[in-house]
Amino acid sequence: MMFAKLKKKIAEEAATPRPGRLPRSYSKESITSVGADSGDDFASDGSSSRDDLSSQILRRNDQIRKLEAKLSDYAEQLRLMQKTKEKLENALEKHQDSSMRKLQEQNESFQANRAKMAEGMALALEKKDQEWMEKMSALEKDKSALEARLDQSLSLFQKRDEQDELEGFQMQELAKVKHMLLRKEEQLNLRERELKLRGEELNTARVTLAQTQDKLYELGEEHEEMLGINAQLRAHRDKLLREKEEAEWRISNLEAREEELQQLIQQVSDDFQKAQSDANSLQKSMESLQAEHDDLKLQHEQHKGKAAVTEEERERLLADLQEKALSLERRLEANLSQDEHFQELLKEKSLLVHRLNETRGELLEERTKHTTSVSTLEAQISRLNTNVSELQTLLRHKDDSSRSYKERTDTQIADLEQKLSHTAERSRSLEQQLEEKEAHREKVLAEWAEERERLQQQVSMQRQRGLEKTAKLDEEILVLQREREAEISLHRENVRLLEEQKAALMKDRAELENSVEKLNIELENSKAELNSRQTVSVEIAKALEETRKQREELQQQVSKMSESVLRAEQEACQLSEQVGVKEAELSRLREELETVRCSLSSLQVECEALRRESEKKDDQIESLHQEILTHTQQAEANQAQECEAQGDVESGTTAQPQDEVCVSEQNGSVTVGDVDELQKENKELEQQLSEKNKMIKQLQQRLTELKRTLQKELKLKPDADSDSKEKLQELKPSSEALLLAAAPTPPPGSGSGPGPGPGFAAVTSQTKVTNSSDLTDTREINFEYLKHVVLKFMSSREAEAFQLIRAVSVLLHFTREEEDMLKQTLEYKMSWFGSKPTPKGIVRPSISGTTSSWM
Amino acid sequence: MGGFFSSLFSGLFGTREMRILILGLDGAGKTTILYRLQVGEVVTTIPTIGFNVETVTYKNLKFQVWDLGGQTSIRPYWRCYYSNTDAVIYVVDSSDRDRMGISKSELVAMLEEEELKKAILVVFANKQDMEQAMTPTEVANSLGLPALKDRKWQIFKTSATKGTGLDEAMEWLVESLKSRQ
Repeated sequence: MMFAKLKKKIAEEAATPRPGRLPRSYSKESITSVGADSGDDFASDGSSSRDDLSSQILRRNDQIRKLEAKLSDYAEQLRLMQKTKEKLENALEKHQDSSMRKLQEQNESFQANRAKMAEGMALALEKKDQEWMEKMSALEKDKSALEARLDQSLSLFQKRDEQDELEGFQMQELAKVKHMLLRKEEQLNLRERELKLRGEELNTARVTLAQTQDKLYELGEEHEEMLGINAQLRAHRDKLLREKEEAEWRISNLEAREEELQQLIQQVSDDFQKAQSDANSLQKSMESLQAEHDDLKLQHEQHKGKAAVTEEERERLLADLQEKALSLERRLEANLSQDEHFQELLKEKSLLVHRLNETRGELLEERTKHTTSVSTLEAQISRLNTNVSELQTLLRHKDDSSRSYKERTDTQIADLEQKLSHTAERSRSLEQQLEEKEAHREKVLAEWAEERERLQQQVSMQRQRGLEKTAKLDEEILVLQREREAEISLHRENVRLLEEQKAALMKDRAELENSVEKLNIELENSKAELNSRQTVSVEIAKALEETRKQREELQQQVSKMSESVLRAEQEACQLSEQVGVKEAELSRLREELETVRCSLSSLQVECEALRRESEKKDDQIESLHQEILTHTQQAEANQAQECEAQGDVESGTTAQPQDEVCVSEQNGSVTVGDVDELQKENKELEQQLSEKNKMIKQLQQRLTELKRTLQKELKLKPDADSDSKEKLQELKPSSEALLLAAAPTPPPGSGSGPGPGPGFAAVTSQTKVTNSSDLTDTREINFEYLKHVVLKFMSSREAEAFQLIRAVSVLLHFTREEEDMLKQTLEYKMSWFGSKPTPKGIVRPSISGTTSSWM
Repeated sequence: MGGFFSSLFSGLFGTREMRILILGLDGAGKTTILYRLQVGEVVTTIPTIGFNVETVTYKNLKFQVWDLGGQTSIRPYWRCYYSNTDAVIYVVDSSDRDRMGISKSELVAMLEEEELKKAILVVFANKQDMEQAMTPTEVANSLGLPALKDRKWQIFKTSATKGTGLDEAMEWLVESLKSRQ
């Protein structure tokens, strides 16, 4: 029966391994456990109340009532259970029979099936092998065909490569042509630039030509001007010539006049000579007169001399006579004495005065004679003088007239001469001017001619040059144009050729591309085919593999099945044993119930009595209390009895597993030893079960841990994970159920000392068991952890640091001494007093130090 | 000895700081709970390689709360911090049904330590805001809490990100610590 259930379960699990199944089964299992727990709770509640009596009584009553209710419930349940049990037993029997039969049948059929299947499998395998061989051969054929196609495609590839090459060449040639074109264009540009330059030169030449023409024009203008000037000068010359003629005419006039004047002058000079001769004659006469006058003067002088001499002689005679008169007076004076002498002297004096008078008279005569002569002379002179004066006046007159005339003629002559000279000078100057002008003109003309010549030469030269240049340039342009045209035509031709080439190549290329495409398509088709073939082959291989696997699995399943059949048989035996045990328990419980009911009824009776008593006798509370105490004692005793009764019941339970009808409620006939043995076995099995559950649990934990780490580090695909999960879930429900069943048992290793517990060991071992990559990771994490802890240890408060000593010493594998030293140091730091702990040789204990065992 | 000294030391200064460890598997939300308790805010956390220690004041009681990293490789170091611990907050990811067994074994191993014999155990069935979260009773059953003896323990459903359940838990913890003193 159970086997059938189990099989169904397995089948269900195999059919629907869903995670949703887990909690369902769990909840199913948990219902029973909850029920059990509630009973426990009740019991603990019952034991925990013991303080207040009245309340206790009340509670007791309540409990009793509850218990009664429960008891009735139990009774009903029992009845139900019995019925069900009967049913179940019947069913069980039937089931057992049927299951046995079925099992046998199944076994047989299975064996038969197995044999058949093995045969069928072998046959199928052979068939499949044959099919495979056929398929393989077909595939090989295909493969060869495909290889041929591949060759074709390879040739096509080659063609395509060639085409690519051709395209490359074409591109290169195109590039070359383009390059040439570019170069030609560059040259063209260069030529054009040159042309432009030439044009510019031409323009400049033209400009210079225009300039020279301007100059020429200017020079023409100048020439005209010069011609004007020349004409003017000529007119001037004519004028001057006319003037000259005039002047000459005037000169001749003047010369005629001069001659006239000279004649006149001759006349005048003749006159003048006449006058001069007159004058000369007059002068002669005058000179004669003068000579006469001079003679006269001389005569006068002589006369004057003679008069002066005679006067002097008279003076001297007077002076002598006076002297003689004086001498005679003196002598007279001296003669009176001297009178005779004086008289003689007076006689001599009178003689001398007489002589003087005579000489005076003579002198006077002489003087008169002289004066008369002088007067005559003077008269003569005056007459002469008048004559002379007359002559002189006449002369003077004549002189004056001649002089005036002369002066007049002279002035006239001078005037004329002056005029003449002036005119001559003028004419000369004019002539000179004319000459100069002429010379200048000639010079200017010569210059002008020269210049004109020169300019004309220049112009002609320039023009020639320009013409030459233009001609040259034109020629060049023509040549260039021709060249250009030729080039252009050449290029065009080239381009056309190239285009043609290109078109041809393009056509080729298109064709090639078409063919390539075709080939590609073919290739793809063939590839697809190949792929499909490959996939088909792969699938076939997979199918083969799968069939193989299936076969293996089937074989495995067969072996498993046989194993499970064996196990199931064993389990069936066990379960039947357990059923027996359960039945025994049931009977035991029933007995317990009965006893409890009995005790309860007695207790009820007692309680009612007590209640009555308490109601009746309120004042006897103390005694009642005592009574209650005793009653409670009794109750305890009853409980003890109950326990004993239970023990008895247990011992006395008749639990015969193999027996068919076990409904007999009390005191079965089975021996106590059997029950004990069964119970022991039961317990042992339970223990084993719990241990196994623990093992399973630990293994599961490890598995999940490993899975987790694997997931983390290897990043497994969820498919593989889900596989493992499914397996896990297959394992889980049963294990979980067992776990819950084992829950009341003490936790594993609870009795172990302060050292590392087994649970911890399991955890550490778990960490140790991880693979190498995980190990390095853990090392890294350990290092990081160490870093963090040390950092915190150094940075945190002393109170916190104190807590960290342990962690630091564990992480750094400190020895006990080192750790203690650290602790003391920190304590010393934290407290105000105390001495600094001396490091007692713990600098080098790391060699001999006993590192803590749990790292 | 250190405990004696520290007790003496703290005795000199009146109120002693309560030492609380927050333990649990990686990703259970220990660090989030610590900072939720300290600053009342949800902080973005990275996996704790090492530990965080903060002083949390709650109802005039000062707690020195140690949040130890729960990664598998550094779980063995938890026992370095067990001495002088007044209470252990064991955080469980209620939505992680797969690792509940590991969580249980870790809890059991921890509770077996002699140094934690007197420590109060508060289990936080965290991440209650998640859809497939287990109920506190489920968590308690899967951790095997009902089987604990000689241990004052309580389980609370919490959500560190939403901040629910933490106050009740701390209230209970404070009360039990006060009553124990």
